[in-house]
Formats: sequence, C-alpha cells, structure tokens
Amino acid sequence: MARTLRPGYLDEDKHERSKRLEWFDLDKVQNTKVLVVGCGAIGNETVKNLILAGFKKITLVDMDRVVRSNLNRCLFFDDDDAEKKKLKAKVVVEKAKKLEKDLEIEYRSEMIQDLPDDFIPSFDLVLGCLDNVAARLHLNAHCYMHGIPYVDAATLGFVGKVQVVLPPETPCLECGMNKTHLKIMGDRFSCTGVDTTYHEPKLAAEITTTSVVSAIQTRESIKIALGLQSDLMQNVFYYDGMRNVSDILELDENPECPHHMHEKQVSTADRRSSARQG
Amino acid sequence: MTTRIKVKNAETGASVDMDLEQDNTVEEIIESAASYWEKPAGAYVIRKGKQVLRGQATIMDAGILSEDVLELIPDPEGGQ
Repeated sequence: MARTLRPGYLDEDKHERSKRLEWFDLDKVQNTKVLVVGCGAIGNETVKNLILAGFKKITLVDMDRVVRSNLNRCLFFDDDDAEKKKLKAKVVVEKAKKLEKDLEIEYRSEMIQDLPDDFIPSFDLVLGCLDNVAARLHLNAHCYMHGIPYVDAATLGFVGKVQVVLPPETPCLECGMNKTHLKIMGDRFSCTGVDTTYHEPKLAAEITTTSVVSAIQTRESIKIALGLQSDLMQNVFYYDGMRNVSDILELDENPECPHHMHEKQVSTADRRSSARQG
Repeated sequence: MTTRIKVKNAETGASVDMDLEQDNTVEEIIESAASYWEKPAGAYVIRKGKQVLRGQATIMDAGILSEDVLELIPDPEGGQ
C-alpha cells in the first residue's frame, strides 16, 4: 500500500533531526545504561544533554543538597529548591522528567564510595561530574577494573578538562596525576582528630565553561553508546576560556600507575600460563 | 650538567628560567614554579607542547632539553 504523507510530518518526531546523522542509532543510545556521578553544575548540564541526545536509562548519584550559590550554573535548580534544601539528585530526577516523560531515571543519595561493589559494573557507561579527586579515583579504579568506559569532566573558573578512559586501550585518570593531586586529597582526609573540620576552599565556577566541557563529555558518550570507538578522543581535551584556546593534550600510560601495573602482571601471568601449557 | 629551561605560567603568561639537574623530576618543577608564583592550593601539571609530562619522570626520562619551554597549567578539580 502506498504511504500517505501529511504536511508537517517531519516535525512530529522529537529525534527526527538526530536521525539525519547517518551514524546515529537512537535504539543504541536509548538502551545504554548511564551512570552520572555528581549532580552539580556539570551534572545538571550533562543530564540535560544526555536526555536531549536520546539517552533514557540514567542513574544519578549525589548526596548534596541544593544551595543558592548553585543557581548561577545549574539548569534544574531554583530558589525554592535552595530554600527547602532539597536533595540535588532528587530535584534533577523530577525536573528531567519534564524534558522527557518516558525516562527511566533514578537516583541514589549516597557517596559513590559507599555503594556496593556490584553497583558500578551494572552500567554500560560512567560519567564523572564531580568536585574532588578522591571520588574521581574511585570511579576511575572501578571502571578500569571492570572494563567500563569512563568520561570525566572538570572545571576551574574558565579552565575545563574532559578525559575519556576506555579500558584497556587508553591511559586512565590516575596516569595523569602527580603529588599535587595527592596533596589536595591528603589535606582533605588528613586525620588530625575527630573534632577537626577541614576547610574546603570554594572553587570558581561559571556556566560557560561548564557548558563547554559538558558538551564534550556528552558528545564522547554518544560515540561510546554507538560503538564509534575509533572516533573517540584518546587523550585529554583541555579548554582555557580566558585565552580562547582548546587543545587535545597527549597523556601516556604511567608504568607506575597501579591499574596498568595490574594489567602487566595479568598479561605476564597469562604468558607464563601459556608457556607452561605449550 | 645543568639544563636551563623556561617555565611559563599559563594563567598569567609570565615565565621564569629554571636550572635543572638530570635527576630532577617533573613534580619538582611543578612545586618550584607553583611556589614561585604563589599559586593557590590545587592540582597542576606541566605540559611540553601537547604532551602532559608524568610527574614522577626525571627530566631525562621526560626528554626535557636545554631551552625547552614548559607550561604550568591548572588541572581542574571542580564540577559541583
């Protein structure tokens, strides 16, 4: 039977323009289980981007509550959320459903480090939208161990960074760290007595840099969902909005990084085992 | 033998000469430059062109040569 056209039919499908990209596969995107850790500035922006891009199975993790100082860069938060000190992850879930009613979105209001060991491996893709090195290292280690792609984004004022970790092909987050990273982590967790409160300095943050890194983070996530591994960013995207420059920085695998040492130990053990069998 | 390099402060454009021995590490360059410019507490890395240099590497391992220009850049940690 001949198909009957109706004027305006091209504007009835929400994803019609995305489907015009020859490599785009909405089913693959919709069926990818994504974990977003951190529902602050980058988390807000990235959840919005993921939903508009077609992702439907999204889990959020964040234990913080909304405060007024979040409102200069967080799309989903408003004055009422801040006044009632609502849970960030809960607010994002509720408002995200207004963008897409068929979302399978849920949240956990806990520290990522406190979730059970089988939590992270239950996802196809993990996105780091965090504000501290310790939680990033936790995600990096668990994703690397379980072979799950991890896309990390971070900002500091007008400076931003996105790193794609695709185990075992790429270096991991820890490969690029040095003593200065360990120092800020050590300062935060130094054991100086139960009554001691570590003063955590507030970092500069604004929406334009957040938008840039979030866009790159989402773009790489789409490629991962579609299996476009050869088109993935293999190194580190670095953005400096004050100087109006961005660069892809090259990062080598660190032979002293514990994740890669483990790989080498495993492959050495495999070789020994093969030699014995041979 | 001393290797003289230039370290640039990516945030201000300022630069400083630094004399290095072969066993100095990239982390020592970061610490010296960050202290010299009184950088706030935070994570920093050194780039040489497009390459991020590994913190534990000595200048010999990292292939740092006389008259090289290295750049101290902040490694962002924020996102909340």
